[in-house]
Amino acid sequence: MKDYKYIGKDVTRIDALDKISGAATFVDDIDFGANLLYAELIESTEASALIKKIDISAAMKVKGVYKIFTGKDFHNRFGLYMKDRYVFAQERVRFVGEQIGAVVAFTPEAAKSAVSLVKVEYEPLPAVLNQMDALKSDAPLLHPEVENYPRVPWFYPKAGTNIAHWRKTRKGDLEKGFANADVILEETYSVPRYAHCALETHIAVAKFDHSGRLTVWSSSQSPHTQRNLFAEALGLSHKDVRVITPYVGGGFGGKAGVTMEIIPAVLATQLKGYAVKLRYSREQEFTNTYQRLGLIAKIKMGATKEGIITAFEHQLYWDAGAYVEYGANVVNAVGLSASGPYRIDNVSIDSICVYTNLPPGGPYRGFGYSEMLFGLESHISRMAHQLNMDEVEFRRINAIKPGDKTAYGAKMNPSGLQECIDKAAKAIDWGKKPISEDPTKVIGQGFAIFWKAPAMPPNASSSAFLKFNEDATINLLISGMDIGQGYQTVMAQIAGEILSVPPAKIRVETPDTDRNPYEWQTVASHITWSCGNAVKNAALDAREQIFTLIHRVYHFPLDALYLEDEAVKCKTDPAFILPLKNFVVEGIMTEDGTFKGGPINGRGMFMPEFASTKDNPETSQGGHPNVHYTVGAAGLNLEIDQETGKMKVLKVALAIDAGKAINPDLVKGQIMGGLLQGLATVLYEDMRFNEKGKLLNPNLTDYKIPTAKDVPEEIIPIIVEVPQPDGPFGARGIGEHTMLPAAPMIANAIEDALGIRIKSLPITAEKVALTCLREKAKQ
Amino acid sequence: MKEISLILNNEPRNVQVENNEILLDVLRNKLGIKSPKCGCERGDCGACTVLLDGKAVRSCLILAVEAENHSITTLEGISREKLSALQEAFIEFNSFQCGYCAPGIILAVTELLEKNPHPSLEEIKESIAGNLCRCTGYTPIFDAIMSLTGRGAK
Amino acid sequence: MSHYGLGTLKKEENMALAHTFDYQRPSTLIEALQLKAKYKDKAHFLAGGTDLIVNIREGMLKPDLLIDVKGISELLKLNWEKETLFIGSNVTFAQLIDNELVQKHFILLHDACKTIGSTGIRARATLTGNICSAVPSLDSAPALLCYEAKVHCASPESQREIPVTEWFLAPRKTALQEDEIVTGISLKRIPDSSGIYLKLGRYSGEDLAQAGWGILMTADKQYRLAHCALSPIPKRAYYIEDLLNNSNPLNADLIEKAIALIPSEINPITDIRATQEFRMYISGIMLKRGLTAIQERISGKYIEPRKLLGDV
Repeated sequence: MKDYKYIGKDVTRIDALDKISGAATFVDDIDFGANLLYAELIESTEASALIKKIDISAAMKVKGVYKIFTGKDFHNRFGLYMKDRYVFAQERVRFVGEQIGAVVAFTPEAAKSAVSLVKVEYEPLPAVLNQMDALKSDAPLLHPEVENYPRVPWFYPKAGTNIAHWRKTRKGDLEKGFANADVILEETYSVPRYAHCALETHIAVAKFDHSGRLTVWSSSQSPHTQRNLFAEALGLSHKDVRVITPYVGGGFGGKAGVTMEIIPAVLATQLKGYAVKLRYSREQEFTNTYQRLGLIAKIKMGATKEGIITAFEHQLYWDAGAYVEYGANVVNAVGLSASGPYRIDNVSIDSICVYTNLPPGGPYRGFGYSEMLFGLESHISRMAHQLNMDEVEFRRINAIKPGDKTAYGAKMNPSGLQECIDKAAKAIDWGKKPISEDPTKVIGQGFAIFWKAPAMPPNASSSAFLKFNEDATINLLISGMDIGQGYQTVMAQIAGEILSVPPAKIRVETPDTDRNPYEWQTVASHITWSCGNAVKNAALDAREQIFTLIHRVYHFPLDALYLEDEAVKCKTDPAFILPLKNFVVEGIMTEDGTFKGGPINGRGMFMPEFASTKDNPETSQGGHPNVHYTVGAAGLNLEIDQETGKMKVLKVALAIDAGKAINPDLVKGQIMGGLLQGLATVLYEDMRFNEKGKLLNPNLTDYKIPTAKDVPEEIIPIIVEVPQPDGPFGARGIGEHTMLPAAPMIANAIEDALGIRIKSLPITAEKVALTCLREKAKQ
Repeated sequence: MKEISLILNNEPRNVQVENNEILLDVLRNKLGIKSPKCGCERGDCGACTVLLDGKAVRSCLILAVEAENHSITTLEGISREKLSALQEAFIEFNSFQCGYCAPGIILAVTELLEKNPHPSLEEIKESIAGNLCRCTGYTPIFDAIMSLTGRGAK
Repeated sequence: MSHYGLGTLKKEENMALAHTFDYQRPSTLIEALQLKAKYKDKAHFLAGGTDLIVNIREGMLKPDLLIDVKGISELLKLNWEKETLFIGSNVTFAQLIDNELVQKHFILLHDACKTIGSTGIRARATLTGNICSAVPSLDSAPALLCYEAKVHCASPESQREIPVTEWFLAPRKTALQEDEIVTGISLKRIPDSSGIYLKLGRYSGEDLAQAGWGILMTADKQYRLAHCALSPIPKRAYYIEDLLNNSNPLNADLIEKAIALIPSEINPITDIRATQEFRMYISGIMLKRGLTAIQERISGKYIEPRKLLGDV
């Protein structure tokens, strides 16, 4: 194992001081002066309706109101992977809360007052509020023209239905596989929608100045994607659109792509000279931002009595909401990977993206894999029971190995899945569950394995500029976003390792698309890998310039030069020590008084040139859509109060193969944060819609996210390192994955403790208590 | 419009306010204090926490006029001279991720440690139970605080 | 759209709540009462504000005047006289939790105060404000009902005491008259008593009660029980009390009989927090565990009510 100075060390976050001193600036902290206008949305109260009339006359009379806009003012259609969304609803609305217009005023209160005076006349249409109803042959169509929407070539909508995309993966011979099985188990699992609940709500401020230049400040994971979509939607040149993204108060996927940010961007073009701010309330954050898609999954699995899985049929019906421009890619990603981290010869996956009259589904940490793994890992444990096999052993036997073929025919990358399984099982003493002293409590053990690949288009790339300052500190210009994960520090560690500059002397500022070069988006847990490679290349580029210069001036052989302690040194001349700060901007003065060299600026880029989505639409064979998978395993000991149903996680261990943990502290941070977020989705987060498609609990009073009192008693983070060959120092991403095993682990532990199998989320205390009660009554 | 006086981070300040202005908004928009944040407008999340006469309160639920002649402390006040031992510990333990909840939590724990320099883990949890953090899972926050209280951590 | 207040602007400058109102901070009770008499139901008293501000922001209340009573020093009284604790209407939950007399003599109330909100809320919210909100899930109600507290009210002309058992009329409606202010709540000590307040929340963090049960046991093993979040208003459970107070001993059999009486005591609904079925069922569990815990508490054992239901 190579010994690095900064790589693999628990380096202090370079943004810690900003955040802990109060200096960190978020979008709403920026003062825009007297020319700031405030926008408030006019929102639909119907889940599905034609808009007959919008009467703004009373609203216009409110003092302080400047202008009111509706769908007739902007016909722009937009979307990331498919263009099926509008800035404001056109002739129809498709979900409760959908924006149909905006009031722009000089104060937020004037805007709010005016909104309440807008009168909208609707002609209600029949609505479909779940995916199964939307799939019925007589279901009303949300997007009758779906097949005509511009979209990425790997999406396959079905004309005349509410199916926006159908990903089919077929491998081997399913019939033969089931014929060879000794045990076959079929079941349906269901997972509802979830909310991200980042603490900072969505916000964007846009200004269209008198030269026709648009600037947008947004809380976003994707400044360059936003710039691209704004430029396209508005017919502006990219150089005239500038997106500035300061610190983000949590994203979790919800701030990826473009959602509400396009509204102020578009409004600004009609409000020349003013800046206009749209800040979501917590309620709007619940009702009109991306939600995690809902899923109904039908699983049929067959295995031999030796425990080999011979056949797997997985049908996933996704409740994707009224607009699926991003959500359809969640469906796609899972459609390729819903065999789970297993080696199975005969697989059939149907992942179906269904329009419903609910808020748009979109990216959420895990990108569909949490939802999918709930059913799959529950099912795997049940298969083991049917076979009278240990659950962990059954997984070991079938776990995918490097080189094995995935469901779509690509080769599995190097990964330490067995090591993760072994370590997680050991950490919770699998098989030796403790007995509770309290007679009302029972303890169960649950286990799950997981995997996920970044779901990206094949040309998702990263680039970096590395600028030396006079004192040899560095400014690293990249367009990744810190959404909390600490990637800036990791990038500084990578650059620092190569250039021998301590990370604390490297500043990674938040992006400005005018200054920072292109980054696709901060999603998919791919920034450490992709942006890390770009940064590594930029650092190598800078280093090469340095060595070339030294060689030119001092004539040392290039391969004898190295960097250490912020200075250039030479293996063949130990007396030579030239501090970087002497020359990285000023150049080196030579004997005749002339200077050689000059400012050292590094440039790096990374494009996964091996990725391709060119595949057979009927089988998904032939492409290489996923750059690599990150794998892991987790287990927990769960104590259940049989009478109240309350569950306490006594101990949970999560092992993840990070390839190389560039900053182990930050990896552990993701494990602890992700686990708690995952457990919350099982145990108490509970989104409830009424029969009219209205969300009943759009607030934190009744949509409960974990507090300091809800933390498991003992969390054991385990880092496994089987290097990713094309990752910077062997690293691959882990940010989303730590959420994935929570739900199936809990369901499995409950079955272990109580003999009851719960197949739907959430699994609240109430559900457990009443299920126990009903089981008791049966006996 | 009415002028009120208050002590803000140990400095006397005057500000013009309307009756229905919320303390959080006045701090942010009229007094240049950006560290308390708006997260929910209902007192559920704690991001707006400030110290009012030394006690942690939800500034989104207090009218600016109610603060007249009282003393308000925010993170800016705590950071002004030099970082507190608590802040140094939070940096050392990489306790925060996105940082949005940090001002509220730092103030709540500052109040706790002033009253109780050696709190138990349970007391720490209770003191920040009203400050939601979506990123960290709270454990690195506990670890940092425990390292100060002499009760050991990690 | 309906969640925004309907208001017309009176002034041009930047404001925070959509609704505008006048604000007064009287320094005497008489001043406060005079203002209230003048504005009647268009004026609201403001103490902690943790409920009031939310209600105004969300358009549920549209007062013309807010009367900030925090400057009235006599409302901050927290004193002990003739075995009676008087809790002035400005006393916060934080103060009650720290108060030795509350810890020693009114354990049910102490339990309840600890379950309300979080530290930042308890630093402002008052017990009086809590009972004036009169929501069905009022945590302080079962304790006050068991201790048979009295609500002290004053109007410009007179004063009176309303037994807390007559205080709650309907959800969000109390016996307080339009020209009255609550000056405080008094509780008479019940010698050698013990009790417990059990609150069921959806998780260990702060929550509104899915169900709340308060049980008080006097020295001669007489019980008083009260509940919240299980009926339109918080109430005493007289049938169960009757059963327990006229039977001996308190064994598993008697507890089962008590549990069987629950459907005649409570009238729960299904809402976002819990189903009717669950509320009925869990009340039985809470009753059983609460009655057992009290026996342990009286024998000197330290009991943490949240842990009894499986929380941390």
